[in-house]
Amino acid sequence: MKKILYVILASFILFSCKDALVESPKSLAVETFYNTPAEVEAAIAAIYSPLRDGGCMGGLYPTQIECYTDYGYGRGSHAMLSNFQGLDGTNQTKTDGFWGYFYLSIRNANIVIGNTPKGTKLTPADTCKYIAEAKFLRAFAYFTLVRNWGGVPIRTEKNMTVQNIKRNAAEEVYQLIYSDLQFAEANLPDNAPLAGKPSKWSAKTLLADVYFSQGKNAEARDKAKEVILSNKYSLVPVTTADDYSKIFGPEVITTTEEIFYLKFSRLGNYLGFSYLMYLNHPGTKYYGGGGYYTIYSTTDNSVIAGWDKKDLRYSLWYSYNIGLGANTILTKKFVDPLAPNAGGGGNDFPLYRYGDVLLMYAEADCRASGVPSADALEKLNMVHRRAYGKNPILPDTSVDFRLSDYNKDSFNDLVLKERGFETQFEGKRWLDLKRTGKVKAIILAATGKVVADKHLLWPIPVSELNYNSAIDPTKDQNPGY
Amino acid sequence: MLPDKSDAQKIQKTKSFKSMKNLIHLYRRKPAKQKILLTMRLTLFLLVISVFSAFSNTYAQKTKLDINVQNSTVKDVLNEIETQSEFFFMYNNKQVDVERIVNLDAKSTTVDVVLEKLFAGTNVNFKVVNRQILLFPNNLINLAEQQGKKVSGKVTDQSGVAIPGAAVVVKGTTTGVSTDNDGSFSLVIPTDTKALVISFVGMKSQEVVIAGKTTFNVVLEEETIGLEEVVAIGYGTVKKSDLTGSVTSVKSNEIKAFASSNVMQSLSGRAPGVQVSQNTGAPGGSVSVRIRGTNSIQGSNEPLYVIDGFPFTGSNPTVLSNSDIESVEILKDASATAIYGSRGANGVVLITTKRGKAGKTTVDFESSYGVQTLRKKLNMMNAKEYATFYNEQAANDKLAPYFTQDQINGFGNGYDWQNMVFVAAPISNTTLSINGGNEKTKFSVSGTLFDQQGIIKGSNYKKYSLRAYFSTDINEMLSFEYGATLTKNTTSRQNSSGGNRGQSLIGGAISAPPTLTPYNDDGSFRVLATAYPFISNVIINPLNFINEQKDDGESNIVLANASLIFEPIKDLKLKIYGGVENTDNRSDYYQTTNFVNSQGSASASSSNNVSLLNENTLSYNKSINDKHSFGAVIGFTYQDFLYRYLGGSGNGFLSNVTEDFDLGGASTPGIPSSSYSKSVLMSYLGRINYSFNNRYLFTASVRADGSSKYSEGSKWGYFPSGAFAWKIKEEGFMKNVELISDLKFRSSYGYTGSQAINAYATLNQLSSNKTIFGDALYNAIAPGTTLPGDLRWETTEQADMGFDIAILKNRFRLSADAYLKNTRDLLNSVKLPSSLGFTQTIQNVGQIRNKGLELALDAKILTGEFKWDMNANIAFNRSKVIKLYGGQDILTGSINVTFISDNSSLLREGLPMGVFYGFKKDGYDSTGKEIYKDLSSANGKPDGIINQFDKTIIGDPNPDFIYGLNSTMSYKNLELTLFFQGSQGNDIVNVSGVGNTLDYGFGLNMTKDVYNDHWTPTNTNAKYPVLTRSSSMRYSDRLVEDGSFLRLRNIQLMYTLPTQKLGMKWFRNLQIYASGQNLLTWTKYSWWDPEVNSQGGANSTAQGIDHYSYPTAKSVTLGIKVGF
Repeated sequence: MKKILYVILASFILFSCKDALVESPKSLAVETFYNTPAEVEAAIAAIYSPLRDGGCMGGLYPTQIECYTDYGYGRGSHAMLSNFQGLDGTNQTKTDGFWGYFYLSIRNANIVIGNTPKGTKLTPADTCKYIAEAKFLRAFAYFTLVRNWGGVPIRTEKNMTVQNIKRNAAEEVYQLIYSDLQFAEANLPDNAPLAGKPSKWSAKTLLADVYFSQGKNAEARDKAKEVILSNKYSLVPVTTADDYSKIFGPEVITTTEEIFYLKFSRLGNYLGFSYLMYLNHPGTKYYGGGGYYTIYSTTDNSVIAGWDKKDLRYSLWYSYNIGLGANTILTKKFVDPLAPNAGGGGNDFPLYRYGDVLLMYAEADCRASGVPSADALEKLNMVHRRAYGKNPILPDTSVDFRLSDYNKDSFNDLVLKERGFETQFEGKRWLDLKRTGKVKAIILAATGKVVADKHLLWPIPVSELNYNSAIDPTKDQNPGY
Repeated sequence: MLPDKSDAQKIQKTKSFKSMKNLIHLYRRKPAKQKILLTMRLTLFLLVISVFSAFSNTYAQKTKLDINVQNSTVKDVLNEIETQSEFFFMYNNKQVDVERIVNLDAKSTTVDVVLEKLFAGTNVNFKVVNRQILLFPNNLINLAEQQGKKVSGKVTDQSGVAIPGAAVVVKGTTTGVSTDNDGSFSLVIPTDTKALVISFVGMKSQEVVIAGKTTFNVVLEEETIGLEEVVAIGYGTVKKSDLTGSVTSVKSNEIKAFASSNVMQSLSGRAPGVQVSQNTGAPGGSVSVRIRGTNSIQGSNEPLYVIDGFPFTGSNPTVLSNSDIESVEILKDASATAIYGSRGANGVVLITTKRGKAGKTTVDFESSYGVQTLRKKLNMMNAKEYATFYNEQAANDKLAPYFTQDQINGFGNGYDWQNMVFVAAPISNTTLSINGGNEKTKFSVSGTLFDQQGIIKGSNYKKYSLRAYFSTDINEMLSFEYGATLTKNTTSRQNSSGGNRGQSLIGGAISAPPTLTPYNDDGSFRVLATAYPFISNVIINPLNFINEQKDDGESNIVLANASLIFEPIKDLKLKIYGGVENTDNRSDYYQTTNFVNSQGSASASSSNNVSLLNENTLSYNKSINDKHSFGAVIGFTYQDFLYRYLGGSGNGFLSNVTEDFDLGGASTPGIPSSSYSKSVLMSYLGRINYSFNNRYLFTASVRADGSSKYSEGSKWGYFPSGAFAWKIKEEGFMKNVELISDLKFRSSYGYTGSQAINAYATLNQLSSNKTIFGDALYNAIAPGTTLPGDLRWETTEQADMGFDIAILKNRFRLSADAYLKNTRDLLNSVKLPSSLGFTQTIQNVGQIRNKGLELALDAKILTGEFKWDMNANIAFNRSKVIKLYGGQDILTGSINVTFISDNSSLLREGLPMGVFYGFKKDGYDSTGKEIYKDLSSANGKPDGIINQFDKTIIGDPNPDFIYGLNSTMSYKNLELTLFFQGSQGNDIVNVSGVGNTLDYGFGLNMTKDVYNDHWTPTNTNAKYPVLTRSSSMRYSDRLVEDGSFLRLRNIQLMYTLPTQKLGMKWFRNLQIYASGQNLLTWTKYSWWDPEVNSQGGANSTAQGIDHYSYPTAKSVTLGIKVGF
C-alpha cells in the first residue's frame, strides 16, 4: 500500500514544476532589443516597411494621387476620383489605409527615437545618427499626412501609447516637421550609407520642399541651393525616350540624380513596386505581373495635346486601346517586363530627385525675389534640355527658354508646367497644384471638371474617429465628410 | 459511480445484477480475478463459458486447495477459496447464510470436497460452472420435485449458444431451478402454473406461457441498452440513468448513416443544441460546430474533441474515419464539461473508438459508392440576354452599344460556364474491420479508404486510415491498453472562392460572359479580362484554376495512446495514461506559366504539430448497504503543444515540369519563412459523485488549469461545478404510476473557461520583415499591430435544468433542458485609433449571454413486425451581448467586393451575436439608382445625408431554432430511414449576389432575375436598379436573405439478406442499401445553398455570409455491409 502511495505521489509531483508554465518564445522581445547598431538599424528599416507597402506608397497611394491630375484619368474603382468630387466608400477605404500605414511608420520611428538613447552598445554618435534617420522619416510621413489631410494628431515618442489625443492644427504639425528635419539635417551623414537611406542632403531637400509648400520661398530657395551647390548630384543624360529606363527602369540600382527614393526589388515576394500593376496593361507585356491599367489618358486631353511631341518625355506615353476609344494612351514610364508577379516590379519610387530640386529652386527663387533670375532659368533649362536629349549642363538655344520672354508670373507658370511634364506619375502633380492655389483653374481648363472643396482634403478615417475620443467626429472631420 | 471509461461494461453488469437481486443475488468478490470476467460483454461471457466448459470441470478437478480455518465465517472460507484459485462465487445472501461460523481443515483437496464439507448438513447446494460457483438453497431443486407437472427445455442466447445458470422460476413464486451446463432445465411445476420466468444477468427476462406445453426452447435477448446504457463522461463513464449533467450520446449507426469526411458532419441534426454548419462544400471541407451558441469573440468557439481520452488539438476531428467510432458523447452543461476546465466552455465532444470483444473473431466489410452533383444550378442570363443587357447599360451610360444587333441575333444560349466547372463526381468509402480476443486480450483493427472527388473539376479529398486498439490484462492487478490511429489525408483543392468581379474560380464560373467560350480558336485559354473593353480587369477564365493551378495538401496524423491501469485493492484504480498527437502537414502550390499573367509561381510548406499528454488519475468507488454509493476521481495532467512551420516559395520558372519541387530554380526565389510556438497546460482535477438510495444523485467537480499563455500571476484558473439529480420514478409514490416509466430531474451549475489566446499573446514580441536598400534585402524588425496586454482567463458560467421522462414502458421518452450561459472576462479585441500604429489590443472585457431550450423526443411508434422508430430534436438558443469594452461596438465580417466594401456584422450591447449591420434600402431615385433610408446622424436625427450613422440592424444570422428528425421504419428485412434536418429564422448575407445581380459596370453575367426585372423608366417598381456602371451602392438589407431551410439530409432503403435461409452460413450478416443525401431542400434562399458560412472558422463571429463558396452537392449512394 505504501508503495502505491509513493507511485501516486511521485506521478503528481513529477510535473508540478512551476517553470513549465513560463513562456520562452523563439522570437525577439521589445524589452531586450535596440541595444546594438545592427538591432537599431533593423528597427529603423521597419520605418520604411509601411511606406513601401503596396497599400501605401508602393502602389495605391501614387495611383490614387495620380488620378487627380490634369493629364490623366482613373478607371474602374478609381474612375470617380477623376471627377474631383471627393471620395466614395471604396476610395475612402484606400485613404484610410494610407493613414494607417503612415502612422505605423511614425510609430516605428517613435520606437527608435524613444529606445535608441537607452541602447547599451551604442556610441553617442550612433545614437544621434539613428535618431536623425528616424526623425527624417517621421517628418516625411507627417509632411505627407498634413498635405493630404490637413492637421492631424501628433504622435511622438512621448505620447505614443496614449489612446485619445486631439487633432492638431496643420501649423503644429509643420512645427514638428521642421524640428525633426533640422535635427536630421544636422546629424545625418554626408553620404547615405545605402541607396534608399537619407543623407543630410536628403534632409535639406525635404526641408526645402516643406518650406516651399508653406510659401516660405526664400528658405526653400536657400535649402535647394545648398543641395545644388554640394555638387553631389547631376541629371542623368538621355538621348532617346528609351534612355529613361536608365532613370526609372527596373534594373537601376541608383543614379546621380537620386536624392531620396523608396527602393524596390524583384527579390522576394511582394518586395517589388506594385504601383506598376496599376499603370500597365496585361496585353502589352510591359509588366510581368499583368496590369490593371487603372490610369490612362487620351490624345485629346489638353495637356497631352498641347505637349511638344519632340519632348522625349512625351514618348513615354503610347497608344493602346483599352476599350475606351482609339485615342487612349497609357504610360510606360514605369515598366518591368520581368517582374515575377503583381507585386514584383524592380523599379524604385523617386520621392526626391535632382530634377525636383532644380525646379524647386527655380520657382522658389523667382517667388522669393519677385523676378526670374538667370540662375533660376538655367536650372529650369537644365531639366528642359535633358528632356530633349541634350546635355543638361550645356546651354542649347534650340530648346532653351529665354529670360526675356518671361515675367514673374509667366515664369512660375512655366516652371509649374515643366514640373508637370517632368514628374508625371511620381505623385507630385496634385500637391503642386494645391500648393500654388491653381488647382481649380488648371483642372477645369484641362478636363472641364470643377474641383469640389471636399476633394481638397481626405477625410479623417472612421477608424480614428471611432476609437479616439479626443476627436469629435463631426466638428473635427474635414469639410464635406 | 466514477469508474474509468474502460469499465463501461462493468457498470452495466453491476446494474444488471441489481435488477435481479430478488432472484439470485450475486456477490462479487476478489476484484482482480473478477476483472477478467467482468470486463467482458455478457453475451460473450456466456459464449466463453460454453466454449470453456469442457475445461471447467478439469479445472475444478485439478485445482487443489488448502483450507484450515477455525471459528471463521462461511464468507471467510469463500474468500479464501477465491484467493487460492480462480473460482468465484455467486449467491443470494438471503438464501445462503454466509455468516455461519465453521471450522474446516482440508489439505490438497478439490473444491467439490471443500464445499461438500462446508455445507454439510445445510440446505445449500452448489454448482461449478467453469470458474464460477453458484450457491443455492436445496429447496429450489427440492420444490421442483413436488407434485405437479414436469416441464423441461433449453435456454439459449440469440446466436443459439446455451446459457448455463439461468434461473427458471415459476411466475409469482421463488420456486425454480437453474439451467445446467448445456442450458437445459427440467422441473415439476404446480398444475395451476400459468407461466415461467426465465432470467439471466445481462439478458432480458422472459415470460413463457405454459398453455399446455411441456417443452420450452427459450431464447433470451441481450438486455437492450436504454436506461442501462453507459455513457462516457470526462475521465470516466456513468450509467445513462445516473447522469446528472446534460450529455447527448450518438451511436455508431447514426454516425455511419452516410459517407462524410468529418464525423461532425454526420452529427448535424442528431443532437439538440449542436449546430453544425458547413463552411464550404469542398471535399474534405471544414465545418463550424457551435454547442449552445457562440461564447467567445477572440477565442475558438469550437468544442473540445477528446478522442479516446486524448484532448485533440485540431478544430475538426478528421483523424478518424466514421466507421472507427463506437459512440460520440456531447457534453453540454457545466457539470459535464467543468472537468475539462479551461477548454470546456464550448462544450466537449468525447469520441470513443471501437473495442475488441472476447470470443469469435468477427470481420466486417462495408463499402459504398455514390455520385454527387451540384444541388442546384443558378439561372444565369444566356448569351443573347447578356448582350442585350449590356447594350442597355451602354445606352443608359450614353455609350455606343457594345454589341451590334446582328451579333445579338447571332447569339443563342451561348456557353454555359456552370456546366463546364461543375461536374458529377464520385464518392466512395470502404472499411474493413476485424475484432476479436479472449478473456485477457482483445483487439480491434480497422482500415478505411475514403475517396471523394469534388463537384468542381480537379478537386478531391482522400483519407486513408488504419486504427488499432489492443488491451490486455497483465496480471490480477495490472492491465494495459493501447490505441493508435494513423491517418493520411490528401486533398487537391479547387477552392478559389470569394473574390471580386470574377477573380476566383467560383466567382468566374458564374460571372464569365455566356457569349464567350473558354478557348480561343487556337486552343489557348481565352483571357476574359481583356475580352471585352467593358469587362472586369480581374475576371479570370476558370480553366486557369482548373488546369493550370495545383493546390495540394497532405497531412499525416498519428494519434496514439497507451494506459497502464493498476488496481491494487478493490475499487481503487490508478490509471497512468500517455498519449501523443503528431500531425505533419505539407502543402504544395504551383501556378504554371500558362496561367494568365503568370511567370510560374510556386510555394511549398510543411508544418508539424505535436502534442504530448500525460494523465494520472486515481479513482475509487464504494457502495455501502445499497444505500450510499460514492465515486471519486482525482488526477493530474500535463499536455504540451508544439508547432513548427517551414515554408518556401519562388516566382518565375523556366519550365512547368519542376512544379514546386525546385524552388531554387525560380528566377525570384522567395524569402523562406519558419516559425515556432509552444504552450503548456498543467491541470489538477477532481470529482466526487454520491448517490443516496439510487434516488438522489450529487456530483461536484473542480479543475485547476495552469496555462503558459497567460500573464504571470494569472496563469491558473479554477473551474468548479456541482450538480444534483433526482430519480423521481424511484420514489415510493411513483411506483404505482404505471403510465410513467421513468422520470428524472437534473440541475447543474458551474464554470468553464476558454484559453482564447495564442501562445505569447501577452508578450511584447518583435516580428521580422524585409525591406530593400540599394537592390538588396535588409531586415526590418518591429512590433506587430496588436498591443499586448495583461490577460486572464475568460470564464463561462452555466446553469442547466432538465428532466427526462418516459411513458408507456419507455415507448416515448422526452428529454428537456433549459440553460443559461454567461461568459465573463470576455477576451475582446479592443480597437485602437489607427494613428496609434497599434490597431488593436486584447483585454478581458465584455460579457455574452446564451440561453436556450433543448428538447429531444424518442418514440417507438410501432413495434412488432412493422417497426417504426422516430427521434426528433429541436433547440432554441438566444444569444445576447451584455457588455463590451466601453460600450464600443465591434464590427466584424467583411464584405470586400470593391463595388461594396463594408463590415457585414456587428457586436453591440443588448443585441444577439453578430447581427447584420447595414443600410436600409428605400426604393429608387428618379434615375433608377438605389437610395437609402436616412435614419440618423451624429445628433441622432435624420440629416439628409446618408452616412455611417444611417446604418442599422438589417438581419440576424442566428437561427430561431434548429431541428432534426430521424425516422426508421422496418418490415421484415427491409428498413427505410429518413433523416430531415433544418434551421429556421436565420439570415444570410448574399455577397455573391453583389457581383451577379448589382455590379453592372464590369461585364459580369447576371442572374436572369435581373434581366427580367430591373428599373427602367416604365418599370420603376423593379426588383433591381437601373443598369448603369456609374451606380454606387451600399451594403443594405437588399443583400440579406432568409436562410431558413429544411432538408432531407439522408434517405436510405436497406435490405438485409436472409443469409441463413439462403444457406450462406459463412455470412454473419449481409445488407445492401441505396441512399440519397440532400435530395430535397426547402428554402427561399436564392443562391446555391443555404448551408453556407464563407467566413466561418473556429473563432469567427461573422456567421452567415455567402461569398462564392464552394457549393454543396447532393448525392446518390449504393452500399453493402457484410459481416463474417
